[in-house]
Amino acid sequence: MQLSVVRIKKRIWTGWIATLPLFVAIFGLLPTDCGALPLFARQTGQNCLSCHAGGQFPELTAYGRKFKLTGYTMGERATVPLAIMGVASSARVSSTAGSTDTEGDFPHNGRFEFTTASLLCCGKVTDNLGMFVQWTWDRFDHLNDQGKWISRSHVDQVDLRYADRFINKDHDLIVGATLNNNPGVTDVWNTHNSAFTPVPGYVPVGNPGGNAGGPFVDVPAMPIIQSLGQTSAGATAYAFWNNLVYAELGGYKVAEKAFSAFGEVGANEMDSFRRLKGFNPYWRLALNHDWGANSAMVGLHGMSAQTYFDSADIDGPTARFNDFGIDGQYQYVLDPHVITAMFSYTHEKQRYADSLWNTANPEYEGVFANSSNTLDYRRAKLTYVYEARYGASLAYTSVRGSSDSILNANPSAVPNSRLWVPEIFWNPVQYVRVGLQYYMWDQYQGAKSNYDGNGRNARDNNTVFLYVWAAY
Amino acid sequence: MRKILIAAVAIVGVSGCTNLERSRDLANPDIRPEVTAAQVCSNCHGIDGNSISPNFPKLAGQKEAYIIAQLEGFRSHQRSDPAGYEYMWGISRSLNDAQIKGLAEYFSTQLPQPNVSVTAQQIAAGRKIFEQGIPEKETAPCFACHGPLAEGLGAFPRLAGQHQDYLVKQLHVFQETEGRPGTPMKQITHLLSHDDMVNVAGYLQAFPDAQ
Repeated sequence: MQLSVVRIKKRIWTGWIATLPLFVAIFGLLPTDCGALPLFARQTGQNCLSCHAGGQFPELTAYGRKFKLTGYTMGERATVPLAIMGVASSARVSSTAGSTDTEGDFPHNGRFEFTTASLLCCGKVTDNLGMFVQWTWDRFDHLNDQGKWISRSHVDQVDLRYADRFINKDHDLIVGATLNNNPGVTDVWNTHNSAFTPVPGYVPVGNPGGNAGGPFVDVPAMPIIQSLGQTSAGATAYAFWNNLVYAELGGYKVAEKAFSAFGEVGANEMDSFRRLKGFNPYWRLALNHDWGANSAMVGLHGMSAQTYFDSADIDGPTARFNDFGIDGQYQYVLDPHVITAMFSYTHEKQRYADSLWNTANPEYEGVFANSSNTLDYRRAKLTYVYEARYGASLAYTSVRGSSDSILNANPSAVPNSRLWVPEIFWNPVQYVRVGLQYYMWDQYQGAKSNYDGNGRNARDNNTVFLYVWAAY
Repeated sequence: MRKILIAAVAIVGVSGCTNLERSRDLANPDIRPEVTAAQVCSNCHGIDGNSISPNFPKLAGQKEAYIIAQLEGFRSHQRSDPAGYEYMWGISRSLNDAQIKGLAEYFSTQLPQPNVSVTAQQIAAGRKIFEQGIPEKETAPCFACHGPLAEGLGAFPRLAGQHQDYLVKQLHVFQETEGRPGTPMKQITHLLSHDDMVNVAGYLQAFPDAQ
């Protein structure tokens, strides 16, 4: 046992030291002049911190929100509207105790590796039309039958936007419409959605598919409004009046046929209950107020979605998910200080087709013990950035759900989990970020200790996550 | 959904590529300065030049010659303070002289609104610097160049009602850097303390109340 610990530590350090040339390459080869910046910065000629609070993400400044709402059309159309983005990372779990398949449960534990790359095609198309399209390559997507990691490239985020602005000294009305592939990808506060998280934090992104390259353990359940990215295609229309009231309404359907370029359903095991049936409404309301260096928003969001249990069986049983939530943000931006506090609470009511839960039904599938369940999902994050260079954040995520012994295959029969993620990060230049996060599980699958009945504790899932993000 | 897609494509097709009356394009010389002021500049400076955030200076009632000089300075990268290169180098890079003049005319004719007041102590200390200068620090009284009502004079900017935080940062830029060449402010500020800057900037922010 002692030997194996030494070997693991040696492997960790060997892995990290071996990546030093990568750091040198990143910092040495990337040009340092202001002209060599990712797309939106090239389009506007401005520094990233103009739109991103403290130069980081997913928080947008008041100016950044206007840039997005006006359809990414401000500035000058780029000659080559392409950018690349990459993430190298290392995740090291606190304990692998209780695992009979360490590499399978905690793949590439402690190794620092290049894991993800994205190609982005973004920016102004016409005076009224702009786009944000991200194509992502995951190096470690899934294991094949021989136990070898297979990579996969896929459409990630899509936001095609038409916008217009009617402004005079008495009124300011921004209106627009989008075609996109993720409920909430259209939002400009990024408080309640799951989009734009190239590195986790406010939105915990584990490896539900079992791939390497991120914290190993994800929250056991999330509401449907955050679970339809890359499997759905939607159209929404929005209006922002006098910088005060924001309203958005639209709907989503499965990404196939004419919209197959927006995503792919059935790509992995998580696609159960990810194939939408029909057209499913999404809505969002927000009140915004800016004063001095401060900005505040309080909003509501919701979605009603019907999805198939089996993505490949459109004659099969479905479930209905009704989400309703409240979210908000406070922001203080006055150079050199930037503070952003954001929160979101979403309540979900789930109702299932009879065959999914009723043992008396001759077509009983045995998916749920109850005919309906509820889920409460809470998130909060406080971030401070100094000089758009040094930052720290603390994120909190909590999920609580009703007891269902089949849905939640653990002794407690509930998904209840609590996660804290403190982080420090550094932007040596505006298009490179180095961050260190610590995932602290206070509760996992309904228990602090022995959550799986095999002696594994919530804190055993604690994970150190180091990442280097770069874009060009 | 297919109908929506067709409708969306139709909208784009009908709308064409340019929308001169509501464009946010900064590289099209055909767009009137008033349109750029409303569609772009207003995001930070307010449509009437009375910015809300102290990150961005108020432009309402600012001297036309001063705005022209600053935009030309941003465009040529002569003005290189952080607020300049982070935000304004890109905004100004493709503006032509006529657009710059038009923007300057637009904002110089807007009505300045009063700003937030500061403490009586800051007003008193700041008024003294504004009216009398600090002879022992070789600091001339501000009104000598900026006018008795801090309304500005020619290329000397209006200071009345300007954000205190912006003024303090610019005073530090003058004192500590070469980011804003071509003004006498380097010499005037070279012995000013941070407290002096805060006081005089506070007085200027609260100017209407201080009369």
